[in-house]
Amino acid sequence: MGRSYIVEDAVEGCLSKLCEQKAGSVTGLLLGQSSPQRDFVVMATRTPPREETPAGNPVDKEWVSEHARQVSRMLPGGLSVLGVFIITDTEAKDTLTTLRQLVFAMESLVSSEQLWSPAEDDVSDCVALHVNRKTRKTFCRTFDVKDPKSTAKPADWRYQAGVCSSWSMVSCCLHVDLLVPLPDNKTDPENMDKCLKEELRGWAQRLESGVCLMDGRKLAEDAELPGGQKRNVRQTYTAQILVTPSEQRLADEEQRCGGSVSIRGAVHSRAYLHSNKPKARLAQKLLKRDAVATVTTRVQMLLEELLTSEDENKSSSKQKRELFCLPHRVFCPLKASGPLCVCDYQFSDESVCEVTERLKEMLDIDAAEEDLDSSQEAPGEITEREVGAEPTVETVVALEPKRNSFIGVAMATAVALLATAASMLYLNDV
Amino acid sequence: MVVTDSSDSGTILRVRGPLEFKCQLDSTDARLMQKVISRTFATLHSQVKSESCVLTVCDSSLIIWPNKGVYVTPEEITPNTLCEDIHQWIQTDEQESAGKRSSKKKNKKSSAASVINLRLMMEVTKTGPLSAPILRRTLQKSHFLSTTLPMDCVVRTTCSDTIKDAFERLLEALTHQLCEMEKVTLQHMKGATLLVPEPLHFLLPEPKGLVTVVYPVGVPDSQLETHRKELHQQFELPDDWPYFRRANAFHFSNEPYKDGYLRNPHVVLTHPTLDNGKVYLVQGIYSYHHYMQDHMDDNGWGCAYRSLQTICSWFTQQGYVERAVPTHREIQQTLVDVGDKQGSFVGSRQWIGSIEVQVVLNQLLEVTSKIMFVSQGSELASKGRELANHFLTEGTPIMIGGGVLAHTILGVAWSETTGQIRYLILDPHYTGAEDLQVITDKGWCGWKGPDFWDQTAYYNLCLPQRPKVI
Repeated sequence: MGRSYIVEDAVEGCLSKLCEQKAGSVTGLLLGQSSPQRDFVVMATRTPPREETPAGNPVDKEWVSEHARQVSRMLPGGLSVLGVFIITDTEAKDTLTTLRQLVFAMESLVSSEQLWSPAEDDVSDCVALHVNRKTRKTFCRTFDVKDPKSTAKPADWRYQAGVCSSWSMVSCCLHVDLLVPLPDNKTDPENMDKCLKEELRGWAQRLESGVCLMDGRKLAEDAELPGGQKRNVRQTYTAQILVTPSEQRLADEEQRCGGSVSIRGAVHSRAYLHSNKPKARLAQKLLKRDAVATVTTRVQMLLEELLTSEDENKSSSKQKRELFCLPHRVFCPLKASGPLCVCDYQFSDESVCEVTERLKEMLDIDAAEEDLDSSQEAPGEITEREVGAEPTVETVVALEPKRNSFIGVAMATAVALLATAASMLYLNDV
Repeated sequence: MVVTDSSDSGTILRVRGPLEFKCQLDSTDARLMQKVISRTFATLHSQVKSESCVLTVCDSSLIIWPNKGVYVTPEEITPNTLCEDIHQWIQTDEQESAGKRSSKKKNKKSSAASVINLRLMMEVTKTGPLSAPILRRTLQKSHFLSTTLPMDCVVRTTCSDTIKDAFERLLEALTHQLCEMEKVTLQHMKGATLLVPEPLHFLLPEPKGLVTVVYPVGVPDSQLETHRKELHQQFELPDDWPYFRRANAFHFSNEPYKDGYLRNPHVVLTHPTLDNGKVYLVQGIYSYHHYMQDHMDDNGWGCAYRSLQTICSWFTQQGYVERAVPTHREIQQTLVDVGDKQGSFVGSRQWIGSIEVQVVLNQLLEVTSKIMFVSQGSELASKGRELANHFLTEGTPIMIGGGVLAHTILGVAWSETTGQIRYLILDPHYTGAEDLQVITDKGWCGWKGPDFWDQTAYYNLCLPQRPKVI
């Protein structure tokens, strides 16, 4: 029995419009939520055009994967890239191999950034949709990305109105306080990345085993979140998370270090659930994963920037103490009426229009400045206390590096940092 | 030290949880290092006193914020609810398997005050919106220390204590423990190495009750004698019982022993009442060693070895020695080492007697023993006074060997006027599993009369003498 994809009506319209484009194949991503029973697709977003390649060229696996990676960072908990679509003149059976390669490449890159441990009830099927440009007919298949030898399985693709309306949202404001030593003589951004990743993994584990309260109560795992009776009322829940420092901590550490990195502040974390009666267990899982993802993403983004800027001015990074603000999270509704939002990250020196530009480029969303919600987080503040902590040491506050908004340049630096993942990805042609 | 008041009924609240201790030592100057350590402890103090500090009741949905006016969830419980009522919210095994446990309940005597276990946790969520995070990179060659402080506090409550009272006291206990830990840490610092301060609880004779002491991990008992002397003075305790050795730490009834051996199976028995008689029992804790344990098939020849193991376990558990209970092979090797047996003895299935037990106790544990000899089993009935005195002054288990059998005597019930006597026997010939019910029902640990002994055989008893140290 294959999977069943319930798709928002508007997606049909979006795919139709893409069919009207000039010749050549159009690829893109399908976004939504998976659950063991069925999947919901809320949006289709085309792969941004690449300047150098004229239309009509073969599908660019690398480019599609990078798009997926960037888009994943813009999806709050509960929403993810479910798969890819291709609009082309060729027959469905001829595109199967391409689709398969796309799906595996994309999954591999996206999951390489995820620091949480996979759960038993995670869905590992990805959708590959073929749309025939002339007839508009759709062929929907799924591949199990956990199995390198998996073959295409048929799946249902059904349009339905109102898929974007009935979602519940769980959110919280999470305080982060991490301190990591940096090895001697290895205090550059690449090593910071490695050390921070380790620490974030441990932090993710602590969160995973932490207790989650919904609206002030601790619920049994199988329990449903209360109050989900009315159909059209939007349910929102506030969560609280309690943790203990990891009990299985390895032997006490005492090491020589060349410095340290600390991250302190708060993040707004949220997850969407498509259900009137969401289960507490699922809500917890998705919220915690979003918390890990939002911190990881911001750290990655900052380090990507530092790597670029330190390459450009070699002499700069010898200051004793440097403070950087992580970007803060901005939300944008997917549709004017629905509860679903996507998000983006804004550095303190960026203007709101840069956010709207990125939303347009990555997700093809036309958002006005008033639509954006930046109220969930305040931009990072470097207070007097931070700066004047130890008056004897020279403190330098580095200006937040200019964010390169466009996918091309971001990709170059990202590849540098994810060198291992990337090389594995392209060497193993699935 | 935290002293919990004693009272007949009432509940013990025990909170445990790790607190992360991380700091960077920039210099090797002792004073500067101490300042950094103290500053880190100060951070932990504020963490524990903050609104993010949370205590959760294990196996229940109860969560308490002690620093938010002792706020409790679920709302049915308020800070003014009695502490005792917490029990109703705890899911126990008995509730889930109602039918199975009833037979066991009969045998178990009501134990001491019940314990409610709590976990110390931190709430990482707050009401937003708050500022996005700041990343700070510091370049400074230093020593990075990272460890976990194992917080463990107890508070004894009476039946009239409310949750508010009890949790405020728990918070004081936590703060106090951090101070103690800071003291111990600074005292035992070696260069840039920190020893983890570990809290242990000790049960002192009533009315003092449970007392918590912080010891540095890794420093053996032998080096902490001064500390123990101070404690003995503070609590006005006699100098001949090691109340504060680590091995004597109080064992909470809900925690199984990791080694799997039963402890003091005799406590569930009903002791005999004789006219004008009194019961004299072994003091302290021992573990029950018997045939077939540790994958060692010594059925038919190892009974004296097992009795010796039971005695050794007593010395280890009271903290007089820090060695594990010796195996059959180690016992045999010891006898060869002192020249009592030939080399071929090791690995054999030869019996040993009370003299060998005395030799091994002396050689391995530096414990001296008295030997008592009776030429006929029937004479044992007249040894009531001596056995009673032994349990009063020494309190150690006695090994008795004679005829073809060896046993352990854990106590006597004796009437000075009528001469009636009963012996509390721990039988090493048992070959079954560590099932307290079976062991006590079938008399493997039980009270026997004078006819238990072979009336015509001769017997040797080994009476280990307790070292008079703290």
